[in-house]
Amino acid sequence: MIPEYFSYTDSFLHRADPRLKIVAAVSITVVIAMSRSYITGLCGLVLSFFLVGFARLDIGVVARRLLAVNIFTAFLWLTLPLTYGGETMEFLGFMTISREGVAVAALITLKANCIVLAFLALMSTSPVSSLGHALGQLGLPEKLCLLLLFSYRYIAVISQEFQRLSRAARIRGFTPKTNVHTYRTYAYLFAMTLVNSWNRSHRVQQAMMLRCFNGRFYTLHPERLTAVECVVFGVIMTGVFIMAFWEFWKLQG
Amino acid sequence: MHISEGILSAPVLLGGGVLTVAGTAVGLKSIDTERIMPVAMLSAVFFVASLIHVPLGPGSIHLLLNGLLGIILGWAAFPAILIALLLQAILFQYGGIVVLGVNTVVQAFPAVLCYYVLRPGLSKGGNAQKIAGFLGGFLSVFLSSLFMALSLALTDTGFLQTAKIVVWANVPIMIIEGVVTMFAFTFILKVQPEILAWKSYWKDENHEVDE
Amino acid sequence: MMEYEAPLVEVQNVTFSYQGRKHPIFEEMNFSLEREKIGLIGPNGSGKTTLFHIIMGLLVPRKGAVLFKGNTVHDEKGFQELRKSIGLLFQDADDQLFSPTVLEDVAFGPLNLGFSPEEAREISRQTLSNLGLSNFEPRITHNLSGGEKKLVSLATILAMKPELLLLDEPTNNLDQETRFRLIDILNNLDLSYAIISHDWDFLEKTTREVYAIEKGAVTQCERACLHEHHHAHLYGDHPHHHED
Repeated sequence: MIPEYFSYTDSFLHRADPRLKIVAAVSITVVIAMSRSYITGLCGLVLSFFLVGFARLDIGVVARRLLAVNIFTAFLWLTLPLTYGGETMEFLGFMTISREGVAVAALITLKANCIVLAFLALMSTSPVSSLGHALGQLGLPEKLCLLLLFSYRYIAVISQEFQRLSRAARIRGFTPKTNVHTYRTYAYLFAMTLVNSWNRSHRVQQAMMLRCFNGRFYTLHPERLTAVECVVFGVIMTGVFIMAFWEFWKLQG
Repeated sequence: MHISEGILSAPVLLGGGVLTVAGTAVGLKSIDTERIMPVAMLSAVFFVASLIHVPLGPGSIHLLLNGLLGIILGWAAFPAILIALLLQAILFQYGGIVVLGVNTVVQAFPAVLCYYVLRPGLSKGGNAQKIAGFLGGFLSVFLSSLFMALSLALTDTGFLQTAKIVVWANVPIMIIEGVVTMFAFTFILKVQPEILAWKSYWKDENHEVDE
Repeated sequence: MMEYEAPLVEVQNVTFSYQGRKHPIFEEMNFSLEREKIGLIGPNGSGKTTLFHIIMGLLVPRKGAVLFKGNTVHDEKGFQELRKSIGLLFQDADDQLFSPTVLEDVAFGPLNLGFSPEEAREISRQTLSNLGLSNFEPRITHNLSGGEKKLVSLATILAMKPELLLLDEPTNNLDQETRFRLIDILNNLDLSYAIISHDWDFLEKTTREVYAIEKGAVTQCERACLHEHHHAHLYGDHPHHHED
């Protein structure tokens, strides 16, 4: 149910300090997201492929994730060439489409895929719990870190609860269709899940009080950077800076 | 309702980020130590809601239910939605980390608005309650798609048509969300109305324990 | 074991009712827990869990007081002290394990008590290894089985080094193996505890005295009453051995 597929295998990137990985992922994303040239996008894609290979991710799962991302870009491919305007060109002999629209859709597709790949290699290779602690060490407010970890903890519990109720409905002959009865049933299943979770949160709250919870967020794992990690991430960050510099220089020129 | 990375322009991304930081700061202030767990739990419920697919014609849509979350949590919906979206980005690569600010505002701002506009209607009985519940789903998705369209249009005027399509394509979802939210509220108000008074709830004592 | 004059914890003349209920669950109820191993039985709705929650300060009685080592506990601050010495094991382990990994969850209490991360980690390791759960440290809590969750939640409480344990239906939904393991663990604990359970056989193997809660009063059960119910328990269809 909770697919942390990528954090189960092992590689250098899996073992690397999550703080470094978060910083690298955010920098790559910022530079690529803001770039307006194919060259930066292509360089980014090379870097991302390198990272995915480095993390030894399962190609099948990676492909499935890319498919999800490209549903949105497909929507842009369907609309932008027809609506973007500007210079037009012939398409399949019988219709005209916007040349710029195609260019923009292509650039966005390149950037979106590049960012997702880098994100997969860097962020999804750490379990959410270590990311939560790393974010805390990087200065995220205590309460937000606690919200992240606790919320993550109960996703599977709540999802199972919903599925249990929904199975019970099915056993009693419920088949989802496009009608009010279906929507009402889903609403009740969901509301019941919410009420159960709400009451559970009250009990967990009590359990936390019994263990002297005072709102403080402690971390058990003082991460230490190794020399190899520093070098590898130094190289990655240098690449990112070169891309950023190239983008900036091109825009100036 | 997510915008992927790599689409929006720098000013839009920055604007979304600033608004999300502000909204989250206000939200976190309203969450004291005793309420961290309930808010985290509802954040997880919101995450799970986004995995629920309901049928629509030959296909299916997934629920958003940000209006429902907003009416219950008020400003605390900001951090709750932020966390749920961050988890979706990490676990499913929906959205992303730089576009997280925009995606959070798109979903959380309508949620907070619902809290202020619709709560009075919910405390009344009968039809007023049903209408407020329906609007909680309808308006929140309408506003979310409007904000999403706005962020596209502000990025590039060439996106204007695409942005309009986004809003129109969401009309059936608005209606379904309205219906689902209405029934969900009827249920909650019948079964456990104190959830809507969560701010005072934790201060009361002696709620029944299971036995 | 050291001798104290006052019992560890005591409820005195407690009257308690839930909101919106006409009849109080307890009226002028008295109960004390010495340093001993006892069981508590009673029909559903008789207030067993309620009693535990009153002792821990999670529920506030309308009248009466909770005494900890002979002193009345007046406020939340007092209960915070009490909670350092008394641990409560919840019915549903999912309510008790709220951290992503087992080690983090066990260390949560010690960290809140002010131990450094290194000390907390050491205490947690030791506690887990005492329960034979050493290899559980890095595991994700929500992936544990029901029985594993129960044992880990026991570890989270033992890591706080309590003087007394309150266990609320610890054998609910446990498989045979974990149930036997729990019996073994409890018998080897140098610790006092009170167990709520419907599982007669379990109580007989883990406790010295059994009390019944009924109609708002706690009375000591005769040993004979244990025998009377011998084969009404959950595992009645399994072959098993009775010591006496």
